[in-house]
Amino acid sequence: MKRLLSIIPILTLFASCTKKEDIAKTDGTIVTTIGMIADVVREIAGDKQEVINLIGEGVDPHSHQPLKSEVDRIQNAGLVLYNGLMLEGKMGSVLSSRKEKGIPVFALAEGLENVELIGDQAHPDPHLWMDASIWAKVADAIGVRLSDFDPENKEHYGSRLTEYQKSLTDLHTYALMAFGTIPPDQRVLVTAHDAFSYLGRAYGIEVRGVQGISTESEAGNKDINDLVAYLVEKKIPAIFVESSVPEKSVQAVIQGAAQEGHQVKIGGTLFSDAMGAPGTYEGTYIGMMDHNITTITNALGGGVPQAGFQGKLND
Amino acid sequence: MNWTVNDLHIILVGSLCAMACALPGTFLLLRRMSMMGDAISHAVLPGLAIAFLVSGTRTSWWMFFGAAVAGILTALFTQWITRFGKVERGAAMGIVFTTLFAIGLILIKQSADHVDLDASCVLYGALEYTPLNLVTLFETETSIVQIPKAAVVIASTLLFNIIVITLFFKEFKMASFDPSLAKTQGFRPMLMHYLLMTMVAVTTVASFEAVGSIIVIAMLIVPPATAFLLTRRLSVLIATSMTVAVLSAVLGHLSSQALPYLLGLPETTSSGMMATAAGFLFLLAWLFGPEGLIKKQTGELEKPPELELED
Repeated sequence: MKRLLSIIPILTLFASCTKKEDIAKTDGTIVTTIGMIADVVREIAGDKQEVINLIGEGVDPHSHQPLKSEVDRIQNAGLVLYNGLMLEGKMGSVLSSRKEKGIPVFALAEGLENVELIGDQAHPDPHLWMDASIWAKVADAIGVRLSDFDPENKEHYGSRLTEYQKSLTDLHTYALMAFGTIPPDQRVLVTAHDAFSYLGRAYGIEVRGVQGISTESEAGNKDINDLVAYLVEKKIPAIFVESSVPEKSVQAVIQGAAQEGHQVKIGGTLFSDAMGAPGTYEGTYIGMMDHNITTITNALGGGVPQAGFQGKLND
Repeated sequence: MNWTVNDLHIILVGSLCAMACALPGTFLLLRRMSMMGDAISHAVLPGLAIAFLVSGTRTSWWMFFGAAVAGILTALFTQWITRFGKVERGAAMGIVFTTLFAIGLILIKQSADHVDLDASCVLYGALEYTPLNLVTLFETETSIVQIPKAAVVIASTLLFNIIVITLFFKEFKMASFDPSLAKTQGFRPMLMHYLLMTMVAVTTVASFEAVGSIIVIAMLIVPPATAFLLTRRLSVLIATSMTVAVLSAVLGHLSSQALPYLLGLPETTSSGMMATAAGFLFLLAWLFGPEGLIKKQTGELEKPPELELED
């Protein structure tokens, strides 16, 4: 037993011994945490950079299960881009510890100029991508980080960023137009958890979450009853489920409204903390937003084409 | 499969954590309080909420402090309820942790619903990420020796546990097997019990912070339970339990990397596989041990040995 105890530390020390020059060695890949960031980086970088995203589609960033191979990837990364504002939980502090090794690590949602964050000062809501005009600023920030990381291709990134910004502007305009077609007294978005505040503020729609901002918090009875009363009073036709949150509490609201004699249907599944499957249109930032905007608008009595603003949605 | 120094670091932290938990876990098993780790994992919630309300931040130190206090209180309350409420320990633990967890939920609902304040977000670390946060042990001109910070934290906890148990071995033994005898001999079993419970609370919360919950809960229970199938002598029980703990960590990480690879599946989490490996070792002990199923079937079973006080 004692022998076993002493062998372990000795072996470890032996094997932990590394050459100094190897410590900050990277293979130059860019590591991102969430799909929304990875997609924008890929749009701007084109084929000039390899991007590895850690949290897959359909996964709530809070309940992400880490793997050993991710650690290898983070260690080899030349540039790390994450959301911040505690979206990634403790993973954020793990990532920022790479700074000590001289690896550039940036929390994109933190320190943006001219962006008013929602929530109290010390603990703002991290779901910034729900407002395309804010995500455009994040795209600018990504452009700057890429150019600093790889100055040789600065112009390449600059021109691709300009192109991409046009699509983001189109998306923002489309969202404003789409929500404008919803009858004003039905502009209420009810979802499972509070991830849509920025969308609500940017596009003039009231947002109500069945449960709090944490995906693990639970809706109280009174919350559900208040929400049911509100839906019945305002005659809201639809509420929404999210791809990364169980729909249990949403079902409770629908049943509650049915007992009050008001039929509420599920307006569709929205992408909140995670995007659609890779390789599909919904697996891009613009596609996911287009899906959300089009789904919400049509379910709440507005009128936009089912195929979305680029005609690419296929449901 | 891509073997790097990270694998070694994960195994190192996993083994240390497994040993640090298995040691007090052995005494928990003897006192029929094995679910203490699970209870504490739920009961930390009000600690987190109050730490957040007092400090206004979600920084690690405050969260750790709140969780540690809540963990110790869980242990104390459990003891008081067992004593004064005259319910058995499992039920007492159930009363304490569900109540504390519920208070935590209410506190968060009332005052912190606007922030993300759950244990998996602000408290639990991840074993797999420990190689990213290294401390330098020593360095020369060209080389440098670094180990995960979590390894240092957990090794200190383990060392603390070893020292306490070595110092009070006789007292712990007596208090575990025969509290009334211990009392007549002036060993103060209650004091020993509180000491053990504090040890469990601190070990559990420190390990949650460093490596996450599943491996901690598993290692508090499974290695001691496995060892209990193989021996009844306390010192051997502790040694066996620690060995099973280390084996689980090593086998667990290796199989998390190799097994899915061999089967053509994507890699899986190390901490999950370490807990699974511990369960597998328990199964082996249950099948092939001296009181195992095989022996039972073949009629070779001897009368199970009694708990031995003598060493």
